[in-house]
Amino acid sequence: MPASLEIPRRSEVISRHKERGGRVAAVFPIHYPRALFRAFNVLPVEVWGPPKIEARQGEKHLQSYTCSIVRNGLSFVISGGLNVADFIVVPHACDSLQGFGSILIDFIKPEKPVIPIYIPRGTRESDIEFFTEELKSVFTRLAEAGAGSPSDPELIQAIEREEEADKLLQEIFQKRTHLPFSDIEFYRLVRAREYLPGEEFIELARDAVDRAGDNPQSGIPIILSGIVPEPMEILNAIVRRGGVVVADDFACLGRRLYPAGKSEEPRRRMAESIILGPPDSTRGSPIGDRVRHLRKLVEESGARGVVFYNIKFCEPELFHLPILRKGLKDAGIPSVVVEADIGEELSRQVETSLETFMEVIK
Amino acid sequence: MNPFGSIYYHWNVNLLGKAFLRFQRLRAEQRAGRPSGWKSEYLSPPLGMTTRLTELISRHYLEGRYANYHRKVAWVTSGGPVEFLKALGFFTLYPENHGALCGARKKVIELSSAAENEGYSRDICSYARTDIGSVLSGKTPVGRLPRPDLLLCCTNICQTVLHWYCVLAHYFQVPLVLIDTPFIYGEVTEHAVTFVKKQFEEAVTVAEKVMGRSLDNRRFRETMEMSAEAARLWMQVMERGKHRPAPISAIDEFIHMAPIVEMRGEAVTVEYYRALLAELDDRIAKGIGAVKNERKRLLWDNLPIWYRIRYLSELFAENGITIVASTYTNAWGELAHLIDPERPLESIAQLYIHPILNRGTGYKLETMKRMIEEYQVDGVILHSNRSCKPYSVGQIDQRERLVQEQGVPALLLEADHNDPRAFSEEQAVNRLAAFIEVLGETGDN
Repeated sequence: MPASLEIPRRSEVISRHKERGGRVAAVFPIHYPRALFRAFNVLPVEVWGPPKIEARQGEKHLQSYTCSIVRNGLSFVISGGLNVADFIVVPHACDSLQGFGSILIDFIKPEKPVIPIYIPRGTRESDIEFFTEELKSVFTRLAEAGAGSPSDPELIQAIEREEEADKLLQEIFQKRTHLPFSDIEFYRLVRAREYLPGEEFIELARDAVDRAGDNPQSGIPIILSGIVPEPMEILNAIVRRGGVVVADDFACLGRRLYPAGKSEEPRRRMAESIILGPPDSTRGSPIGDRVRHLRKLVEESGARGVVFYNIKFCEPELFHLPILRKGLKDAGIPSVVVEADIGEELSRQVETSLETFMEVIK
Repeated sequence: MNPFGSIYYHWNVNLLGKAFLRFQRLRAEQRAGRPSGWKSEYLSPPLGMTTRLTELISRHYLEGRYANYHRKVAWVTSGGPVEFLKALGFFTLYPENHGALCGARKKVIELSSAAENEGYSRDICSYARTDIGSVLSGKTPVGRLPRPDLLLCCTNICQTVLHWYCVLAHYFQVPLVLIDTPFIYGEVTEHAVTFVKKQFEEAVTVAEKVMGRSLDNRRFRETMEMSAEAARLWMQVMERGKHRPAPISAIDEFIHMAPIVEMRGEAVTVEYYRALLAELDDRIAKGIGAVKNERKRLLWDNLPIWYRIRYLSELFAENGITIVASTYTNAWGELAHLIDPERPLESIAQLYIHPILNRGTGYKLETMKRMIEEYQVDGVILHSNRSCKPYSVGQIDQRERLVQEQGVPALLLEADHNDPRAFSEEQAVNRLAAFIEVLGETGDN
């Protein structure tokens, strides 16, 4: 990556934010209102696992059939990895994260307040209304925790900043193949959205977009789908086999390319944005919508196939896979499923499956 | 509906089927009445109502088999609000119960394999796999399942059902009504209850459209009343387990809970539990226990292990152990007081957001502690159920607190409610034997 496009490290960003008097919220997957936290001068820093940490602490509380995101996350909390955070936020994404939040609140009882957020599973008016109210109660929790009480104009300002960041994130994805970054560099850039303040991400993203060249990158174009690209070695494995990721359907990325909300009421506007986001298994989207979305991504990006990079025991994804794959197959789009555990190295089996798949689609 | 279809339905269900099932029941009752009919040294003969239950369930599935000829059909999750569907005239089918039935009849591997061959992972819920396998293969031990006209999914038991019903909606291309019940970590919020109520109102509109007629409020209230009465009676049935010896075990309850799950809001269910209660009172009067020589009493947490239910029943009975209560069966009775037929929509929202599976791990621990006291149990078995994460995640901490804070022996038993391939016989037997030994050391009550 060119020297001028420097992505600050997570720890640096957190220290800087705290030095300026801000607070930090450790946020577990997947959907949550970034702008709401930023309006309180709370920096949301996402915790997707984290990968490759000692998971033994979590195993003392969770059965072996719980996914590694939850197992590692719990280990991280217990071992003090989140001591720097002032809040722990647990959006409701699945039964395992529900259990994780509940264990934290009822048994682990960390010193920091745990704020669960229920994400409704539909796109109806009643879902938006409920989520608006849910965000109001998060607002109250933050205010009661002494984080201040931002006015509506302040909320709108924070929302507009995050909307701009989201828009730029979309642009980065659209120009993906024209950017002079390898897959792993590209993913480090876009995943910086998981912890960078919106304003800093905007600067970084503008810088990246400006580097777009005229000639697209060469390679076998593929789409990646799943929850999170961990272990990230998969990206190197794809490059080694001549592939290039041209579009994304990860829950941590592509499924969070939220459209801007339309309401003038700030909490409702945030609710609309998340509820009307791209289809996602964890938000209860109809599988047909996901098939159409993936086909559209393939059509727009020119991808030759889809790699489903699944985390073991992730039920929402596992239920969708057979119909998604059939829907793609019917449209002449090949796909492959590889399974990984964020706490482990990329297995030989995954490498072999990828190799075979790339041979077939090249 | 086609009038010829209705005639065909009545001919098969109400004429031939009903007569045949009654004949079968009478024969079963005759067999059960013979002194040579029951040989177990440790278990009392099955409850007399078991034959009536078999008739009820068989009739339910028989109605289902021919339902598409005569009525609209809704497939509903077990914790789903069924009363308005019943009042509208839908035949309701519960895929989870069908899954359990397949488990008890040892059909899971065959059906689940049909789903697995289509790409469904063995890491998803075994009820779902069984059901999807049944849909894909057309096979079922009950002859035939009716095609749904409507799917109703309520997330108050898990998020799994939502994904499962998304799959069903895709295959059947019928409306999927979602009742999304926000999880209660501590206390329920007002906006969550309002949200659930609004969804009921929306669900009624969709169901009316599918049915082609409006909901009759009087009929709806009556259905709610019958639902409330059945739940109250079911709770009383379970509370009879507080007697020593317990006239009914939780293993019996796993079987006898079928009507409260599948036939809520029906007069036949109320009659059934009234008669069951009378039989239990008769047993109490005569000092008959479900286990002949009851020395120890246990609480069961989580769903049963359907394919080993008989084995477990005999193993415990041989050791003088009665499982006198379970958090699972309790869930279908403990909220009866929330049903108010005069305020059907408000009370339905409160009722369906509050099941134990939609509440935090701490609440479940408190429920277990309360049941330990009320049922005077000597130990707890927590079935760590690979297929049911909302029930199982949290059990490790719950077990630890039961042992450390309550001084109650507690065993975490790894299994799966429906898939025998996830059950390690040897390991389970060893763990159960060690647990029974520990119980033996705590002295007889």
